[in-house]
Amino acid sequence: MSLLSITGLEKTYKNRVRALDGINLDIPNGIFGLLGPNGAGKSTLMRTIATLQAPDAGRLTFDEIDVLAEPQKLRAQLGYLPQDFGVYPRMSARALLDHLAVLKGIATPKVRRQLVDTLLEQTNLTVAANKPVAGYSGGMRQRFGIAQALIGDPKLVIVDEPTAGLDPEERYRFQNLLSEIGENVVVILSTHIVEDVSELCPQMAIMAGGRILKGGNPATLTAELSGKVWRTAIDRALLADYRAKHQVISARLVMGQTVIQVLSEVQPGSEFDPADATLEDVYFATVRSASGRAASQAE
Amino acid sequence: MLIDITRFEIRYQLKSPVFVAVFLIFFLLTFGAVTIDEIQIGSTSAVNINSPHAIIQTILVWTLFGMFIPTAFLVSGILRDSSFNTQELFYTSPVRERDYLIGRFIGGAIATVLAFASVPLAIMLGSVMPWLDPDLVGPFALGHYAYGMFVFGVPNLMIAGMVMFSVANLTRSNMLTYVALVFLLIIYFVASEALQNPQYRNVMALADPFGFNTYAEATRYYTAAERNTLLPPLQGHLLGNRLIWVGVAVALFAFNVAIFRFRKAGLKRFGRAGAAAVSPTAEIEHIVLPRIAPSFSRRAALTLFGSRVWFEIKGVVFNVAFWVLLALGIFNTLGALIFSVSAYGTPNYPVTRIMVDLIAGAFSLVPLIVIIFYSSEVIWRERGLRFNEVIDATPAPSWVFLFSKYIAMLCVLAGLFLVVMLTTMLVQLTRGYSEFEVGQYIQRLVVDIGLPLAFIAVLAIFFQVLTNNRWLGMLAVMIVFIGSLVFDSIGLEHNLYDFGGSPWSPYSDMNGYGHFLAISIWFYLYWGAISVILLILSYLLWNRGTLTPIVTRLRRLGGSFGPATAIVGLLSVATAVSVGGWIYHNTVIVNDYIPGPAAERRAAAFERGWGERLLDVPQPKITDVSIDVDIYPKTRRYEARGQYTLENKTDAPISRVWLSYGEAAIIDQHAIDNASLSEFDADFGIYGFDFETAMQPGERRDLQFVVRVENPGFRNSDNVSTVNYNGTFFNNYEAMPSIGISPTAFLQDPQARRRQGLEPIQRAYALEDERRWREHYLRGDSDFVSFKTIVSTSRDQIAVAPGYLEREWVEGDRQYFEYVMDTPILNFYSWLSARYAVAERDWNGTLLQVFYHPPHNWNIERMLEASEDSLSYFSDAFSPFQYRQFRIFEFPAYQSFAQSFPNSIPYSEDIGFIADLRNPDDLDYVYYVTAHEAAHQWWAHQVMAANVQGGTMLIETLAQYGALMVMKQEYGEDAMRRFLKYELDNYLSSRGSEALEELPLYKVENQAYIHYRKGAVIMYALQDYVGEDVVNRTLSRLIDLRGFQGDPYATTLDFLDLLREEAGPEWDDLITDFFERIIIFDLKATGATKRALGDNLWEVTLDVDAAKFVADGAGIQTEEPIDYMVDIGIFTRDLEGSISGSDHVLFMEKRRVNADQMQFVISVEGEPVWAGIDPYNKLIDRNADDNLTPVSLTN
Repeated sequence: MSLLSITGLEKTYKNRVRALDGINLDIPNGIFGLLGPNGAGKSTLMRTIATLQAPDAGRLTFDEIDVLAEPQKLRAQLGYLPQDFGVYPRMSARALLDHLAVLKGIATPKVRRQLVDTLLEQTNLTVAANKPVAGYSGGMRQRFGIAQALIGDPKLVIVDEPTAGLDPEERYRFQNLLSEIGENVVVILSTHIVEDVSELCPQMAIMAGGRILKGGNPATLTAELSGKVWRTAIDRALLADYRAKHQVISARLVMGQTVIQVLSEVQPGSEFDPADATLEDVYFATVRSASGRAASQAE
Repeated sequence: MLIDITRFEIRYQLKSPVFVAVFLIFFLLTFGAVTIDEIQIGSTSAVNINSPHAIIQTILVWTLFGMFIPTAFLVSGILRDSSFNTQELFYTSPVRERDYLIGRFIGGAIATVLAFASVPLAIMLGSVMPWLDPDLVGPFALGHYAYGMFVFGVPNLMIAGMVMFSVANLTRSNMLTYVALVFLLIIYFVASEALQNPQYRNVMALADPFGFNTYAEATRYYTAAERNTLLPPLQGHLLGNRLIWVGVAVALFAFNVAIFRFRKAGLKRFGRAGAAAVSPTAEIEHIVLPRIAPSFSRRAALTLFGSRVWFEIKGVVFNVAFWVLLALGIFNTLGALIFSVSAYGTPNYPVTRIMVDLIAGAFSLVPLIVIIFYSSEVIWRERGLRFNEVIDATPAPSWVFLFSKYIAMLCVLAGLFLVVMLTTMLVQLTRGYSEFEVGQYIQRLVVDIGLPLAFIAVLAIFFQVLTNNRWLGMLAVMIVFIGSLVFDSIGLEHNLYDFGGSPWSPYSDMNGYGHFLAISIWFYLYWGAISVILLILSYLLWNRGTLTPIVTRLRRLGGSFGPATAIVGLLSVATAVSVGGWIYHNTVIVNDYIPGPAAERRAAAFERGWGERLLDVPQPKITDVSIDVDIYPKTRRYEARGQYTLENKTDAPISRVWLSYGEAAIIDQHAIDNASLSEFDADFGIYGFDFETAMQPGERRDLQFVVRVENPGFRNSDNVSTVNYNGTFFNNYEAMPSIGISPTAFLQDPQARRRQGLEPIQRAYALEDERRWREHYLRGDSDFVSFKTIVSTSRDQIAVAPGYLEREWVEGDRQYFEYVMDTPILNFYSWLSARYAVAERDWNGTLLQVFYHPPHNWNIERMLEASEDSLSYFSDAFSPFQYRQFRIFEFPAYQSFAQSFPNSIPYSEDIGFIADLRNPDDLDYVYYVTAHEAAHQWWAHQVMAANVQGGTMLIETLAQYGALMVMKQEYGEDAMRRFLKYELDNYLSSRGSEALEELPLYKVENQAYIHYRKGAVIMYALQDYVGEDVVNRTLSRLIDLRGFQGDPYATTLDFLDLLREEAGPEWDDLITDFFERIIIFDLKATGATKRALGDNLWEVTLDVDAAKFVADGAGIQTEEPIDYMVDIGIFTRDLEGSISGSDHVLFMEKRRVNADQMQFVISVEGEPVWAGIDPYNKLIDRNADDNLTPVSLTN
């Protein structure tokens, strides 16, 4: 069992954005979902854990390794798939994986060749292995990304927004890949797509405004809301009224009608019907209440 | 839309730190150049710092350095969106392509011009600073700045910008864009090289993309007065050049607008060209994680490093930019090879020394630019591709990335020089030279050229890492480079703080690397250690992952040392400190380190202290000299034991005698009969001896001395020593004592004298100053002296000195030679020692010899022939040759001259021994130089000039005359034009650099461009007008009158009196014009027609313009009426190709020219093709090229 432990992590950028505002997290083996809106500080946190950025304050340990003091030690056990990456032009997946394997300390050519072949196979890239990665589709590129992250038997795998922009089939495939990996090592999956988390992660945290707002098992978190979510269809013009009166966690257009979901211990009104709580509701409720707090503080 | 984009672009650029940095740096550097007295761009002692010439030169120089400004502001506009990955956003937004492109361009162009406006602004502000020498500031004229900016500044930036913009637009490649810039620079370099060669001037004036050479060409003959006031008119080649290149820029702009398409943009990254086949959508059943754990052994680290190095090298080499760069390298080398000229357009044999020197010259700036660009490219490659986070998260240590990138840069440099070396070898082969000195190539290319570049590459990488900004990193390297130029000119000259600096390390075939290699190695060791320190710092400051601000990284630096970096760092610091200390010890303690300004102060102190006190104090003269010299080539030292006999030639007793020694002398002993040392100043080498009883008029006393010259350790600069392992050459001025002091040690430059608060110097005594007629201009302390010497050297060498070899013997491992002169000579002689081969021949009982470096055997016979021809002609024409031998001695190429001592001519390996005379069309300057030096046996060693104005005319101009007559006899009158055109061109182009005042020939004050160049043209014309026999009789009588004595010495007045007597009164005006005034002609053939008269007879009608000007010392011309007999010539072909023979001359006669416009009708036999006025350029004419015109048929 490995454990990534994050204590009091802080980071403020030059433009005064507090990207990390006292993060505390303990992440054990398995896939850990980090869910949050754009700009929540997820990527900053991912990069910090991946030793690519130094925090202003805080502690970061992985098992016995003090990551901030000895980044090199963590890198030896790390697989990292950045949110957005390019590649060298004209280089094939095989050549690039081979080169990265060298960088990760796999010195013996024969071993390396086997490793690269296996990885290409596992990520279903064997057919395109000798084509330039620069020409890959988004899904292939992400699979290539995970393949390179898996080189060197990492104990910690960080994948930052890996499913953004993938078509459903590719996303599904990618999720399978992740869940297989997550059996043995710590995998941190940062995403703003709720399904990724609900379908994959035994543990998760919701992050916004540089803080961890809520954490736990997705099913447990969903269960907490059970019976508290109510739904109704309203006239669009009344949305503002409803927002004022109720704790609206989401509002969306369904077949031309505005359907809102409201969080309430009791039935908020006769027009409301009970709704099944989902992880999405947990997410919206958490993020909304946080931004509401932030807004009221600002006033 | 367009305006919005433009505005956005300007705002974006002006706010960038790069804009602010560029503006400030260019402003400060220009301001410094203008306001610091010692730094001069375009100005001289006589040309103002805000003269149009200086303004334009400054702007031109800065456009060269400023070529990267448009790269930063213009090209980045195109490349920016792809590097920030916002291009999809922009390219798909509904912006019209054309607006986008034009808007960005205009915005970038405005930012570029605004940044560059710092330069004229700095000149304007700089030239009103109160501390400036008021003599060097002219009135403010906005027009001069406007001309400089709009004719050169802005167009140059736009030309460079447009070329790079186009390449960027077409290729979207940073590196190719930089290579385009290198290409422009190389055109400029090749053009500059070619410009030294008159026949290419017109082409090159058009070809230079920056108009630098065009401006030089347009103002080639400007005098100081003209440089201060005139802007070259925008016409001819200047206009042509600007139109061509601005045209190129405009055409490129139109081309870019036409081809620019968003969807083409960034094709490489986003396109689906060569997209992978979509893989079948098979489900992934089960993942078996490959459990191959990494190993981090040392061996694995080396594999990793090797792999990464190879990867980086491939990244550089498999890039078209690299190959384009190599091609440019070849182009630049060939350009330099084709256009480089040795003396008078005659090529040298392609010996390896010349090849490497040529490479060094052609590649002075190019590799620096390559380094600057490549450093930014390799360091930012992963970030540019957004691949950095992937590799930064791997456990590969940072040093792997850093060093592999550095090695890749070294490979670029190595590749460049390898290609260049192969090119020059191929050239050697095609010129029939196959003694490849591969060792010399590799050694000099690696040591002399390669190592400093390798150090600068470290610096470039360091700055890229430190600044976190591509452009700031590049700018920082440029500042260091410019800074070292600036430091140098303000007296901060020590190589210990000039990054990568080492003393000049010349090569000579005779002496090989000599003692220089070891010196260079010390400095390279020092800079190597510093480079290692910088590499370690770069490693520790390396950005892994997100860019971290400088301050944060510096704060963390202390804690980031590991054991390895700490040990290597400490070792490097220890090496740098100890080697630096050793260098300091050698250059400052063992030897004197005297930077320019300190030397200037020292000269001023000498003049104030000793100069004013001792100058013209009556002293005895030296009458007899005997000096024994032991030369030790291996230790580069010599010892001399000498004896002078002094005679009081004044008419009063002398009670104190002053000795002065050259700076190199170490005085072991000196004593004068009946005298004792009473006062001395060891610092300046001045020693006063008081006689016990005063020396009476006519009395003689002996002086004995023992001196040494040692070359201990090494110096910061000027390590060329007179004693060498092979090829020693020194004269008696270096260490032997003189009596009294000489004003030659005084500061000469008027500006330097003003700086030191000294009165303006009198460059020479007035011609009419009869008191100076009894001393000659070489030295006042002796007339003609008797001379003998015993010189010893190591056994494998031959030592020579003036005089006849009396004895020769061996003692131990030393070889001894005794030379004795049997007639008195000037008190000026030299000793040489080398492993010589000797060629000789007999001429009427006189022994002619050439002592030469055995491989340099090409032109030995030619030298002997020239000697024989010269001695015969001069003996017949002037007076008998006074010696029984005439010897030429080769000496190393550290200096390029030949010098005539009595029957002994030291002759540099650089100016004739390696000249390739196989093509008879090339000018045989070996013959000319030999004849010139032979003539000095008469003009210097028979007739010596008094110490007044015009002295050098009697010595150098008359030696030129002698050489010209021998050449005319050998090659014929019609072949002299080419030589004379060189002399004329040299004279006219040198006038602008005159620091004080141009004087007429008869009052020349040791001004080389007058006594050599103008002198040759004038003397040739003189004998052409008054007759060779008249001139020769004059000279023969001058020898009768003044030869071999100093009572008085000859003056130009003697010469002119005799000349007027011999020539007769009809030539009075001409002699006055030639010698006593500065006369410039403007002769021009405006058109010629021919009419067949039948029977192969033709009538030619030639129209000419003619004007005559008199110029004053500042170069201001006034026209006066012309009335001259001038050559009219008619030819069957263009004279450019006419090297010898007279078949092409149909008519050549002097006709009276006495009006501004004249017409001549002349009948000739044979069909005329060319005709002209003064076709052989005998008269001094500022436009010598328009004297000829093709002859057309009349209708």
